[in-house]
Amino acid sequence: MKGFAERDGAAVASLDEDERLVIARIVADVGMLLGGEDFGAERHSGLPHREDLAESLRFLDDLEENLAEPDDPALLRLLPNAAPDDREVADEFRRLTQEDLRAVKLSRLRQIWDDLSDDGDDWVIPPGDVMATAAALTDVRLVIAARLGIERDEDAESLHADIQRASAALEEGSPAEVGIDPERMWLGMLYDALTWLQESLVSLTLGGQA
Amino acid sequence: MSTREQLDIQAREATRLADPWVTVVWNDPVNLMSYVTRVFQEYFGLPRPEAEKHMREVHEKGRSVLSTGSREQMEVHVQAMHAYGLWATLERSGV
Repeated sequence: MKGFAERDGAAVASLDEDERLVIARIVADVGMLLGGEDFGAERHSGLPHREDLAESLRFLDDLEENLAEPDDPALLRLLPNAAPDDREVADEFRRLTQEDLRAVKLSRLRQIWDDLSDDGDDWVIPPGDVMATAAALTDVRLVIAARLGIERDEDAESLHADIQRASAALEEGSPAEVGIDPERMWLGMLYDALTWLQESLVSLTLGGQA
Repeated sequence: MSTREQLDIQAREATRLADPWVTVVWNDPVNLMSYVTRVFQEYFGLPRPEAEKHMREVHEKGRSVLSTGSREQMEVHVQAMHAYGLWATLERSGV
């Protein structure tokens, strides 16, 4: 994976087929969480079925099941309470805005899914779409973070400590000994990769914009 | 400035004082400092140092007030923040 860099006034990242497949899949999962249709159902993805990725993608199946809970904390991160101390204001806000918010989030996720389903490693984002793409990446990261139980800054720090410990153990060839749940490690690494990708996108100043 | 414009401004001011609500953005462990700063620049039209000041306030104090006005205006801002994936709320100022 190569993070976003400027090319001809656009933001361009480079993702290999596996990376595109995994990110497109989680993007589609978040879309379904928001009540959207299955992105893959109506338009055949250029992304092939891959036996060797089945193990990793199984973690996303678990994610999807967990997200189906009605009072799902992940969905609450995407559509948060706008007035925790005032039920009337919160309900009114939800009634007025929820459908629009769902629609805007779904269309941004859908755009990413379409981009990543095309052939070729380059992921090209025109300057006008940078913030919409960054917002969709935030939504995906919010969902993974909810699944990983990241609620405070310290939770994110402890996840990173775990991943570092697990990576170090893997290099020494003893992954079983560190006692870290493989699902937590895999989702954590996906979370980190998306964080890094988003940071590279947001820190670009295309065409000299401030 | 015409009398009409002055009256409009006075009316707006009266509304603001009668119904002062605020938009609050809260800290969360997911949103990047660079991203939050850019959202404040883009959406609220803040110059970068001002946007960074609010971002740091969110990060260090847990919350920052980004806007003051009528409840309806604050609902629009909170909805925009939610669209960006930031956790924002509206409340009566002075609560």
